[in-house]
Amino acid sequence: MQVESVAVPEDTSARLVMRGISKSFGGVAALRDVDFTLRQGEIHGLVGENGAGKSTLMKIIAGVHAQYQGRMAIDGREVHFRSARDALAAGVGMVHQELSIVPDLTVAENVYLGKQPTRGGVVDWRAMFAGAREHLASLGIDVDPRVRMGSLAIGLQQLIELARVLFSGARIVILDEPTSALSPPEVHRLFEVLRAVRANGRSIIFISHFLDDILVVSDTVTIFRNGRRIVTEAAAGIDKGWVIERMIGCGHEDLEESYTGTVALDSKPGAPVVLALRNLGVGRAFADVSFDVRAGEVLGVYGFMGCGQIELARTMFGKVRPTAGRLEMNGRALRLRNTADARRAGVAFVPESRRSMLFYREPVYKNMSISVLGRIARLWLRPAMEKVIARRHAASLSIRPSRVETMLQSLSGGNQQKVALAKWLTWPPKVLVLSEPTRGMDVGAKEDVVGIVRGLREQGLGIVVMSTEPETVLSLADRIVVMKKGRIVREFAGETVSKDRLLEAA
Amino acid sequence: MTTSSDVKAEPQAGSRLGAFVRGQMRNIAPFVTLIVLLVFFGVASPSFATLDNAANILTQISVAGVIAVGLTFVILCAEIDLSVAAIANATGIVVAYFTLQESYVNIANVPLPAIAAIALAFVSCAFLGLVNAIGMTVIGIPSFIMTLAMMQIGAGICALLVRGQIAYAVPTFVATMGAGSIGGIPWIIIVLAVFLLVGHVVLTYTRFGRYVYMVGGNREAAEYSGVNVKLVLSAVMVISAVCSGVAGMLGVAHFGSAQQNEFDGYLLDAIAAVVVGGTSLFGGRGGIGNTIIGLLILGVLNNGLDHVEIDSFLKILIRGLILLGALIINVYVQAVREGERAG
Repeated sequence: MQVESVAVPEDTSARLVMRGISKSFGGVAALRDVDFTLRQGEIHGLVGENGAGKSTLMKIIAGVHAQYQGRMAIDGREVHFRSARDALAAGVGMVHQELSIVPDLTVAENVYLGKQPTRGGVVDWRAMFAGAREHLASLGIDVDPRVRMGSLAIGLQQLIELARVLFSGARIVILDEPTSALSPPEVHRLFEVLRAVRANGRSIIFISHFLDDILVVSDTVTIFRNGRRIVTEAAAGIDKGWVIERMIGCGHEDLEESYTGTVALDSKPGAPVVLALRNLGVGRAFADVSFDVRAGEVLGVYGFMGCGQIELARTMFGKVRPTAGRLEMNGRALRLRNTADARRAGVAFVPESRRSMLFYREPVYKNMSISVLGRIARLWLRPAMEKVIARRHAASLSIRPSRVETMLQSLSGGNQQKVALAKWLTWPPKVLVLSEPTRGMDVGAKEDVVGIVRGLREQGLGIVVMSTEPETVLSLADRIVVMKKGRIVREFAGETVSKDRLLEAA
Repeated sequence: MTTSSDVKAEPQAGSRLGAFVRGQMRNIAPFVTLIVLLVFFGVASPSFATLDNAANILTQISVAGVIAVGLTFVILCAEIDLSVAAIANATGIVVAYFTLQESYVNIANVPLPAIAAIALAFVSCAFLGLVNAIGMTVIGIPSFIMTLAMMQIGAGICALLVRGQIAYAVPTFVATMGAGSIGGIPWIIIVLAVFLLVGHVVLTYTRFGRYVYMVGGNREAAEYSGVNVKLVLSAVMVISAVCSGVAGMLGVAHFGSAQQNEFDGYLLDAIAAVVVGGTSLFGGRGGIGNTIIGLLILGVLNNGLDHVEIDSFLKILIRGLILLGALIINVYVQAVREGERAG
């Protein structure tokens, strides 16, 4: 009886039906009354901006979030997963963007992970290799099951992880950003495999920021915005522009959306170049990246998750060494052996995760002084001076509480982010690289950060803002380069730009 | 994630005291342990609580103590140095190797002036520490494995230099520091006090000391703050090796002989002193003050067990249990703090 109340009568091929799903985190709604249907033998594309709710929905399906409102049924049976194990047992498998393969085991062992065939208590290698070969061949994957997983290209590793998920009995497979690290031929091969999976009657949910990929491979596309399902449409009849329009929306619902209109870029082509990147590359992460950072200008670097900007930021700060190309500061080659070299050269960096920037069990003033300690103290520490400097920053950035002896861990997220910025402000650097400077902040804190960055620009710093959120780049940048799969594909300078043009370029 | 701009609510007065006790558990627990041991042995044995015995205890902990000073730097960085005892042994043997050994039969030793012998001993231990540092920071070998290899290398150097014999002579200066006394106070205690004091001053009042705590507290954050993390790690490994070397020379003089496997027990003693004192194995918390308490706990325990009627074979087990208890507190305190942060 319960089953009938959930299933949609006119759609007997429905494999997964979700009705009225709502989920909130600490009072913030992530999903609002979402209905979602996945049919048997269907590739279903899911699109939406960061925070639109698609990941939350997938985590409910995969059993990661057990607390939610609404109902869910698989093959007509109502289910409510308490754990990822529950979901797996019911036939829901997930391939994450970060692969969970074991690089030091063979392909066959990875396919059979945790359930190797045994004979008399020992692993039956012969059966395992034969079984793996057969299973991979049935998906059109031609690889020797005896080779070490780590020796394969990322694209193949991903296919084998997909094969493992299917092998474990998954009838619903969720793929999270599967194409972000793949080259065009690898994407093509993935799609061939996905079509073979679909022909087997299994269902695939395909989450991606790459709208072209979504539109090529999906049968159906669902668009999310602000925790709501906006529309579900057959992929055949729609194009990229149509999707972007619905992803962004037109209503100015809250303050955050004030950056969704067109923004006139105030580029300064005449300003002196402080840091130049010339054909910079790091392994597979990014290649052939060239741009100039100019004094008194904010350069935005926009791209999707996994486009190489995280590695690029670390390379500019000496954490990762470039494998190709070079950096130039004021016209002279700049070789960074470590982050201390970068600091001395006048490059500063605030990473996307506060946790990797701050010392939670130390007081605020020690957090602020650590990056300038060499200029405050040669041998002996001067805590009184550290505190004077810290108090100045706390006042000018309105950090609360203003007592600089407070342990960092008792500050709120926005205030912690300000402390992370303050580390570099005592003696302003020449170049400041900010990765996701406003991620996870409320509107007020975001405005504060925007104000601080603008103030630094007026002081003549060259600022680079890297973000996967178009709003962040649009609200801060005077010039924007767009990265896609490790390369710069577009530069916007001295013109007007809008969110849909950015998304279009990426 | 907290996104409000407000400060977290002030805790209630009662829970504030509780929070203070929890926060200071790392320092309180070892101190209470020490008091309990002192009271217990003081009551159990009339010969324990005497001034002479106090001097005995301090003398007994001095070799392990000097090693523990260097080890405190390493553990504060969330690394470990298992080669301290081997480096101590090797350095003690090096200083004897360059001193004339009347007792040696038909193997070469190279008698040099005392100053040269001592200088070469310092160079040897610093070099071994540097090899540890290079293995860790340049090649990327985890400290646990790197120093395990160095432990064997140190033992190998000892074996080669003494070839199964025992050297009795060391330079006079070394002999005085290790076995002599001034105004009734053994020099070895004074040396220990100086090392503890210098260690404390460096860790608390210098820029390098701050870097040690920050690298231990959050290595990634230190790196993203432009701290040369590898340089700091290299420095602590060399400091640890030099402290071990000094302890080795003192020990050889103190025992009156240099031979193989002489310092084997000091690896555990030194690590135990640092950890029992409450310095976090996860880095960033603790210091020389904790190490002093840890040394005293170990010294009182070893000494006190000799003063009470107890199966001498049971003593080893009791030491092990005390160490386990300290480790449980050490890890538990860390877990409580992590929990508070996540909550």
